[in-house]
Amino acid sequence: MAQSDTLLSLEEVVVTATRQERRLGNITIPVSLIQQKQIQQAGALRLRDILQEQAGIQLTSSFGTGIQMQGLNPEHTLILIDGQPLIGRSSGVLDISRIAVAGIKRIEIIKGPFSSLYGSEAMAGVINLITENPTTPSIISSIRYGVADPDQGWGVPFTNNSFQQTEANAEFSYLLGKLKVKHVNNLLFADGVSFRPYSKDRIPRPLHRISHQTSVQQYLGNKTELRILARFNQDRFQQEFSVRNNGILIDSYGRELNNELNVQPTLFFRLSDKIRFYTRGYITSYVGDQKLHFVQKPDSSYLDRFEQRFYRIEEQVDIKRNNHTITTGIGIQLEQANSTRYDALANRKQNTVSYFFAQWETKVGEKWITILGARYDHHSLFADAITPKWSLRFQAKPTLSFTASVGQGFKAPDFRQLYLNFTNTAAGGYSVFGTQDAIRLINELNRVGQIAELKPDFAKLTSLQPEHATGINVAMQYSPAPSISTQLSLFRNDVQSLIDVRQVATRVNGSQLFSYLNVKRAFTQGLETSFQWQLHKNWSINTGYQLLLTGDKEELARIKQGKEYVRDFNGSSRVMNSNDYIGLPNRSKHQGQLKIKYENVKAGYAFLRLLYRSRWTVANSNGNGVHDVQDEYANGFVQLHIAGGLPINNSISIQAGIDNLLNYQDVFYLPNLAGRTVFVTLRAKLDSKQLKK
Amino acid sequence: MKIYFLAATVLLSMTSCEKNKLPKAVDQRAYAVESIGKITTVKNLPADTIIGTNAMGQPIGAGRFSFFSLETGQWIPNADSNSTRWDLAFAGTVVRVNNATSGPGAGGAFVFNGTFESLQSVSADSVFRLDNHPVTYAIPRGSGRAWYTYDGPTNLLSPIPGRTLVIRTATGKFAKVEMLNYYRGGNTPSATAPDSVKLKDQRFLHFRYTFQANGSGQF
Repeated sequence: MAQSDTLLSLEEVVVTATRQERRLGNITIPVSLIQQKQIQQAGALRLRDILQEQAGIQLTSSFGTGIQMQGLNPEHTLILIDGQPLIGRSSGVLDISRIAVAGIKRIEIIKGPFSSLYGSEAMAGVINLITENPTTPSIISSIRYGVADPDQGWGVPFTNNSFQQTEANAEFSYLLGKLKVKHVNNLLFADGVSFRPYSKDRIPRPLHRISHQTSVQQYLGNKTELRILARFNQDRFQQEFSVRNNGILIDSYGRELNNELNVQPTLFFRLSDKIRFYTRGYITSYVGDQKLHFVQKPDSSYLDRFEQRFYRIEEQVDIKRNNHTITTGIGIQLEQANSTRYDALANRKQNTVSYFFAQWETKVGEKWITILGARYDHHSLFADAITPKWSLRFQAKPTLSFTASVGQGFKAPDFRQLYLNFTNTAAGGYSVFGTQDAIRLINELNRVGQIAELKPDFAKLTSLQPEHATGINVAMQYSPAPSISTQLSLFRNDVQSLIDVRQVATRVNGSQLFSYLNVKRAFTQGLETSFQWQLHKNWSINTGYQLLLTGDKEELARIKQGKEYVRDFNGSSRVMNSNDYIGLPNRSKHQGQLKIKYENVKAGYAFLRLLYRSRWTVANSNGNGVHDVQDEYANGFVQLHIAGGLPINNSISIQAGIDNLLNYQDVFYLPNLAGRTVFVTLRAKLDSKQLKK
Repeated sequence: MKIYFLAATVLLSMTSCEKNKLPKAVDQRAYAVESIGKITTVKNLPADTIIGTNAMGQPIGAGRFSFFSLETGQWIPNADSNSTRWDLAFAGTVVRVNNATSGPGAGGAFVFNGTFESLQSVSADSVFRLDNHPVTYAIPRGSGRAWYTYDGPTNLLSPIPGRTLVIRTATGKFAKVEMLNYYRGGNTPSATAPDSVKLKDQRFLHFRYTFQANGSGQF
């Protein structure tokens, strides 16, 4: 069961839901699929561009562009490349603008907790980017130019006042003996829009992004296949921005340089039709380096460096017998980090994880499939995690199927929560300490008479434990006719022991000391629905919608006890009612999209996408610390994108489009949303026949 | 109902504003005191309004407290600061009570968690805190501690709903006070308002109170 922009055959093969190839018609949980053609037709360059058009995914704008799935924070969605996790998160956010979609064949999205197969971070869901395999020899090359001017409405090409964007892409596939090789090179030069919180100023901020991907595939005999994927990504930003803390405005300028490398060799061995082995290695590193100078303090500068490395080796065995498939795996991984944000750059922090997972899939008759699975993660730094999952598919009729699943997810504390040692000297000197050092550091300060008050939360400081979530998902898929497909799914996630920053002490000079505690409990629930209709051989319509309700359980309990307050229309306090309550901040209750496409193999295509997101709370403006109807909201909005393409001959095609045609902007709450952008892409493809000529 | 409008007393701070080139719009005449039944509401009481910013860009006032008598509902001239004519003195987020290092009176205060209406009486075993002006205060300063929160990213200050200040006046009588707003006109600027608006409109206090003249702790 799946949703996508085009009607999908149930024969379509996906891998993320079971860790092995499965036909969509045999999947026990909802899967969203984004195909390469759809990515290209939308004119998407980065993962951000294409994910913003998916129902049930909301983008967040701090620490880069993050994603919320099923109402959970960006740190709770695992992002994989060919099944291996991408690293380099900042405050838990993996910036999805960093990821180029060139060389990506397919994006698979599964929602709900999925740690039973993938371990930490798979609490809200998993996004798996499937790279292209090397093909027959070919050369594909494209160049794109885009221009925007958020203030004037329309950008003027090749002028300094407008925001310009140039992307060049080149892909080469060739054979080296029996070795199939593919290179994808991608360059993006753009005038990024600078961010200045709560200011309307914007200036072009040059950014350069370079991506390279090489995949190599070789059959070793007829039973063994070796595949190696290597990806390198570099981002370079010129920065110029202002930050404010406690009323102090600091203008800074400098540069940021991020390098990411990952290499993953996979050996696939088919012992027989019934037994398969996968041996996977993974090495990845991320180095983020930032240097800033301050206009107001010319003699000082800020250096930030974050180095992260991740090594993993894993063995997976699939055994098939009659109507049963058993998948088991065992692996070990080592995670390391060095950062100026911790006690000292030279002090390496590390965590080892060893894990085991097993999954048993059974087909009962023609109509039922059940999958039972569990995973055990043993951590060197904190408590172990056991995450089970059970899911079910019932094919009531050829046109009607139901799925249900219940499972657990977890997220391990990250290095920041364990080791951060940060003091903001500019803004009154507040400090945040990771839990591994907080007790010792604060006791030391207390001994030398630097602590005025220890908060009750100080006594609760212990070593951090993984966060846990339990998710339930029930879905239905109905296809009354071959040209129509509808899906409806209901979800609920209950999250326990969420990590939150709390004040644990006050210094004698009044500045506050913070650390992390496993204290929050929350829920997210909602409904997701989609509808695809191929109404004519050339025309198709796709819509999607998500309703989302969230809440912090502690806040709800205090509201029930009458311990939370709001103000009435006179400004006087009154006890808060439960219908004043909004839930977790920064989440829209309604979100949806409508896509209409015309496609004709000879004449080209036209693609219109309308995206809607309802208002969301951004600031607690009545001082009660709880998000309620009196707080400040960002406006709901509609975004419209159009694109079209024409084949000129067998090898050359042209594409043009306008992103954000309505020029919707919100510089405060959607700083990453560019103004109306007009773009043109020229693409050439030479396959093996043409290359021979 | 009685309404007082005061004007002239604050011309001094107006001139200092002009000197620092802030907009002239600092209109002190909006200050008003209004009583309905037992509840008196004070609007737009300037509390050391902003006269400029320091080298770091932080807002600064002239350092002048506005002294206020809960007993008479009047703004007391600074010349009387060393008397028991006033009960509370305001400057920015600082609230002083008339006792100890702040004044010669019998004042004191503590923060009650609950609505203004729900506080019916001051229990006999209540502990009133004293000021150690200018270091610490009976009503503590700091975001989230007593009557307000300050949000760094939006640069806005909001009184916390459901916090009631229990005051012992300069003459040892009791009053309850609820802070309502920190901005001119009683409207907190939007988070997206320009800094200049957030600066020039802040430190205009709005609060309501009930003063018990008979000396008992029953409101």
